Amino acid sequence: MNPLESLRLSWRSIRGHKLRSALTTLGIVIGIAAVIAFVTLGASLQAGIIGDISPDDRRNVYGWAADPDIEGGPLAGAQPVFTPDDLESVAAQPDVAAAYGYATIQTQAISNGNETVAQGNGLIATGPSYIRESRLAEGRQFERGEREAVVNPAAANQFEENVTLGDELTVTILGGERTTLEVVGITDTSEGQSPFEGFESSPRIYVPTDPYYAAQAAGLGIGGGSGGENETGTGDENGTGIGDARFLAIIIEADSAAQSDIDAARESASAYLESDRSDASELLGDDLEVTFRTSTELLQQLQDVLALLRNFIVGIAAISLLVGSIGIANIMLVSVTERTREIGIMKAVGAQNRDVLGLFLTEAVILGVIGAILGTGLGLLGGYLGAQYIDLPLVYPLEYVALAVGVGILVGILAGLYPAWRAARTDPIDALRYE
Amino acid sequence: MARETAVALENVRKTYRIGEPVHALDGVSLAVPRGSYTAIMGPSGSGKSTLMNLVGCLDTPTAGEVVVGGRPVGALGDRERTRLRGTEVGFVFQTFNLMPRLNALENVALPQLFQGIDRAERRERARDLLERVGLGDRADHLPNELSGGQRQRVALARALVNDPAIVLADEPSGNLDTDTEADILDLFDEFHAAGTTMLVVTHERHVADRADRIVHLLDGKIERIEDLEGDDASGSAADPGRGTEPASDADADSETGSPSRHREADSE
Ligand SMILES: Nc1ncnc2c1ncn2[C@@H]1O[C@H](COP(=O)(O)OP(=O)(O)O)[C@@H](O)[C@H]1O
Ligand SMILES: [Mg+2]
Repeated sequence: MNPLESLRLSWRSIRGHKLRSALTTLGIVIGIAAVIAFVTLGASLQAGIIGDISPDDRRNVYGWAADPDIEGGPLAGAQPVFTPDDLESVAAQPDVAAAYGYATIQTQAISNGNETVAQGNGLIATGPSYIRESRLAEGRQFERGEREAVVNPAAANQFEENVTLGDELTVTILGGERTTLEVVGITDTSEGQSPFEGFESSPRIYVPTDPYYAAQAAGLGIGGGSGGENETGTGDENGTGIGDARFLAIIIEADSAAQSDIDAARESASAYLESDRSDASELLGDDLEVTFRTSTELLQQLQDVLALLRNFIVGIAAISLLVGSIGIANIMLVSVTERTREIGIMKAVGAQNRDVLGLFLTEAVILGVIGAILGTGLGLLGGYLGAQYIDLPLVYPLEYVALAVGVGILVGILAGLYPAWRAARTDPIDALRYE
Repeated sequence: MARETAVALENVRKTYRIGEPVHALDGVSLAVPRGSYTAIMGPSGSGKSTLMNLVGCLDTPTAGEVVVGGRPVGALGDRERTRLRGTEVGFVFQTFNLMPRLNALENVALPQLFQGIDRAERRERARDLLERVGLGDRADHLPNELSGGQRQRVALARALVNDPAIVLADEPSGNLDTDTEADILDLFDEFHAAGTTMLVVTHERHVADRADRIVHLLDGKIERIEDLEGDDASGSAADPGRGTEPASDADADSETGSPSRHREADSE
């Protein structure tokens, strides 16, 4: 019997049991949909992240001090240990082109003229070259020691009247103190400039550590501001050095983006920071260790985490697929028993074992493929909605879609094999006698 | 003109071994000439169905030989036997055994599907046969939309679709009322007249009387063979007394047409 005929006949019997067939495919649908949705999301997330690394930050190495046992992304478990003196000394080390601190300053509000908007974590205090020239859409980098700032488009556009170069903004620091700054540059993107900031778009104002962060630490004792979500007032350094701003994070620049230069800068900086000569060393103790990572490495780390998460979810989805295939096998077995008489009739009128095998296998494969196709559709939709929701560029990993359909066929074959074999072996005399 | 043998059984035994061995057939020899019409009678459990299963290539004998279409069934492999079953014999069952989700036309065409005949040809052949059994207008009805008699006619059309050497019917009218039974038996006569070899199991005398001869089975053995061909030889219905059993008038009537038509077919 040719495959087309098998298909026709199998499809007939599937349609004969609509509800049962639908429920049978559901397991496959869910399994495949889950795989596709998460793989799509994962790919979109990766594309979103990779899309944010600019080649010009490849000279940068990002450092923080943390318990080496703590795993995680940038700044995981970081403690503020680096003093301005440390930064200066690191910058003077061989193979290090520049070194500066990085800290976020908790704010309450920002005013442009009469207009005030609420904003927390609004200031990022760092070195001038943190905003690379190529990242500036307008203006210039801020200068050390000046009350100047570079803002990103999100920050500039949050006022009725957009911020332009030369505008003076008033920032209300958490605690109520006010400070002013002059906008000297506007970046070309609202996304983070480094892994410390995270990847999402949000209003950010970049200012020099001196005077802003120094004043912060000295005046208010809030030195622990950092890259994101840590709570305020964790000023551990208060007891250790009054008025002495300690940074949670440090950024060093290597002479070039070459791996050898990066490694040299990294080694040189760690060697100094971990030696007794540095201020940081007195706080490092036995528990803390300085970690230096390039954004590529951090990204890799993040991707590894993502991949792990994805594999985990794909694993769960695979289990659901397995359950789905057991469902198919179960239904097929029931179906074989239920249709014993039909099998007997077919064999009595000349159906070969392989014809019967083919019919039941085809049926299982149809269920598997329908499940895979519906699951793929649903998964792509889920991936699309998810990517929309978290605002990521949508990337459809097409090879996975092909794979999903392949898996559907395979699951159908595997699940259908034993029942079909049972059907094929049915003895026609017994089958015809079967009620 | 010597008749070819459509089916031959030579000293056939069939023993079922489930606990105490049951000799369902115990040394049966029988030749069924091509174009003949044979009835098999016997009490329940005498081995009639067992015999049909052997001739129908559904089963193999424990001993002896069953020859269908010139080939010994017992010696064939499963695949060959299945092929023979599909092409050389046509089965008509007491319970019709139609595929419930296929319509009349598809049911009739089913045996050809397994012979790899293409769809258009299958459908044409099936339609033709449905026409001949008087169901031309029921082609797309499902079995459960047909009456018992109509179902059996579909089954008969299906049995004939591959032009088998022999049509086997195991109590074909057992589930039918008297009128529909007569319809089916008339069709048997008609196809027999057109040259089809018929082997019909029944336990009803008036059904058996339509045949050329009656094979009486008892406890797995042939008790006797009753030849009704006498009517045939005389070529007249006026001589009903030649058979071992006297036939009723009605039976004699039904016999009148068929032998002569039979001869026509035979001489083709
Ligand atoms: N599959 C089987 N297994 C065991 N015994 C069987 C089987 N089929 C038939 N028999 C026995 O063989 C004998 C003949 O059965 P069967 O040919 O069906 O008789 P009939 O059709 O004449 O009523 C019976 O005694 C029956 O019990
Ligand atoms: Mg019987």
